[in-house]
Amino acid sequence: MTTLPARPPLARSSDRVIAGVCSGLAVHLGWPVKNVRLAMVLASFAGGAGLVFYAWLWIMVPTADEAARRNARRPASPIAPAVSQPGQVPAQAIMSDGGTSAGPAGSVPAGTAGTHGTGGTAGAPWFKVRGMRYGKEILLGSGLLLVAGIMIAQMLGVDVSLGTLIPAAAVLGGASIAWMQLDETRRAGLVDKTKADQAGGWGRLAAGLALVVAGVLVMVSGSGSWEQTWLALLASVAVLGGVVLVLLPWALKFWRDLEAERAGRIRETERAEIAAHLHDSVLQTLALIQRRAGNEHDVVRLARAQERELRGWLFQDPGRESGQLSDRIKAVAAEVEDLLGNAVEVVSVGDATMTEAHEALVQASREAMVNASRHGGGTVSVYLEASDGQAEVFIKDRGPGFDLGDVPADRLGVRESIIGRMKRHGGSAAILSTGNGTEVRLRLPAAAEHAEGKS
Amino acid sequence: MNTTQGTAAGSAGRPGTVRVVIVDDHAIFRSGLKADLDASIHVVGEAATVEQAIAVIAQQRPDVVLLDVHLPGGLGGGGREVIAGSAALLPDTRFLALSVSDAAEDVVAVIRAGARGYVTKTISGAEITDAVHRVAGGDAVFSPRLAGFVLDAFGTAPADIADDELDKLSARELEVMRLIARGYSYKEVAKELFISIKTVETHVSAVLRKLQLSSRHELTKWAAERRLL
Repeated sequence: MTTLPARPPLARSSDRVIAGVCSGLAVHLGWPVKNVRLAMVLASFAGGAGLVFYAWLWIMVPTADEAARRNARRPASPIAPAVSQPGQVPAQAIMSDGGTSAGPAGSVPAGTAGTHGTGGTAGAPWFKVRGMRYGKEILLGSGLLLVAGIMIAQMLGVDVSLGTLIPAAAVLGGASIAWMQLDETRRAGLVDKTKADQAGGWGRLAAGLALVVAGVLVMVSGSGSWEQTWLALLASVAVLGGVVLVLLPWALKFWRDLEAERAGRIRETERAEIAAHLHDSVLQTLALIQRRAGNEHDVVRLARAQERELRGWLFQDPGRESGQLSDRIKAVAAEVEDLLGNAVEVVSVGDATMTEAHEALVQASREAMVNASRHGGGTVSVYLEASDGQAEVFIKDRGPGFDLGDVPADRLGVRESIIGRMKRHGGSAAILSTGNGTEVRLRLPAAAEHAEGKS
Repeated sequence: MNTTQGTAAGSAGRPGTVRVVIVDDHAIFRSGLKADLDASIHVVGEAATVEQAIAVIAQQRPDVVLLDVHLPGGLGGGGREVIAGSAALLPDTRFLALSVSDAAEDVVAVIRAGARGYVTKTISGAEITDAVHRVAGGDAVFSPRLAGFVLDAFGTAPADIADDELDKLSARELEVMRLIARGYSYKEVAKELFISIKTVETHVSAVLRKLQLSSRHELTKWAAERRLL
């Protein structure tokens, strides 16, 4: 058991005498090849069991090449090491719980592992982990062992009445198949039942039903004539049909109520979330604005900040990945707005993933925005255009303007933080100032980004 | 300015004054806007829902309708539905979309329905007066944000000669759009590109026409991604 995780997958080896079964088995079990071959030969003398086993493995076990190919296509192969199991269980359970309902077929008896937290599942957790993948194999194996045991017992002279055992086994098997189905649907959430892979579900139900009915039939027919059995069968079918007919409307109504209640609950949750958000943001800001009604500057600043926050919440596309260049530019624009109180309007076209050089561009833009807001007064317009080739940012204000030559040499704002920073990162900056306003143009070619990224 | 419009109910309007209907579901906003507008703009009607708006516009036949993008009533189409419902008046009555929305789908939907421009509700009274006059004169009004949407939708590469002219913006149109997105006024754009304001207006109107008529693949895709179509 302890060596299991390290065990290589069972595959027929290319180092072979006949079909590579023995050497493959040896690799899998970690035994010397010689011993395996010897055991196989010895077993062949025990009623040909070794030969049968060899033939079976030859047919069932893929060659190493095939196994590799299959694993590449389907990483979660049943033969794959069990070490990956514990991590996968919750992921799958959550996935199917979330509504995809496409649980892998091999995970039938997975139980309601954790996600539903129903009482009975708290029991043997190791069984769930192991049973998830190998449940079928274990079930089949124990079934076969049972059959073998019964046969041996019969050979030894114990009287086993097969006439009762086989139908009973059929009933048991059918019932377990049907119950496995129920367990699965419960795991997938009752609501997804309609969407669950219906073909498989119906197939399983039909198989279970057929087995049970056949088992019961055989058991019952043992005690009476065929006509009687048919009559009884007909009667029970009629009774069942009647019950279904009576209960169907009630079941449908129950189902619909369940659906309606679920929809209502979702709506309620959504409403509560919106209310909570509005309370935390808008109501608080409105209260603040009322208290500071005398100070126009503060009111404008509060209103702008709240507007920005609400816009972000309402119009942000949740599917878009965040942390892009445009997000950073918008974030620093918001910062500057909060800092100085003047509106900073950002328009962005295209986007780019952030790099080190982009961060320099963002910082230079921030400096330019601060200058524009402080000296220009009024609204600052920021335009970002990012493409594969380059990223450009334009910061424009409508202030009185200034002459770069007039700026004292010890003032680092424009010269160092904007022009110098852009040059160091392979970009360029130009400042255009007239009496009607100033525009700072920042440009960062993509090639420079890469060069910077390496250094 | 509307010499062809002789059949309008009420006066055809003195030269220089523009007859306007304000459509917005917030009464506070309507009265604020009325107070902000210049004396050269005469508000002849107000409406708060899609149905009211269509009725008032048909009755008053204004030069310009200031139209909120989001409106209650009708089939839920908002400003777009008002324009569709007033289609018969479209060449004479012009629509200017007003919105607090930043969502591209809202803005582009009303433009494609036939609005001549889009401004945000936060702009000043002087700016909106200027925009109304511009729209009344047959021009298009592009805010920096709308210019940004256009550049996003059409891409920033100029058209080849071989391309269908509706599908892409010419190099000049791109330049104009970029400058508007950067916060330039039409006058500043003209000065920057050494062209007349009239030429800038021509370019902007051409872009508006492309935005309204283009069925180009990328635009459709762009619109579909934003659930516009």
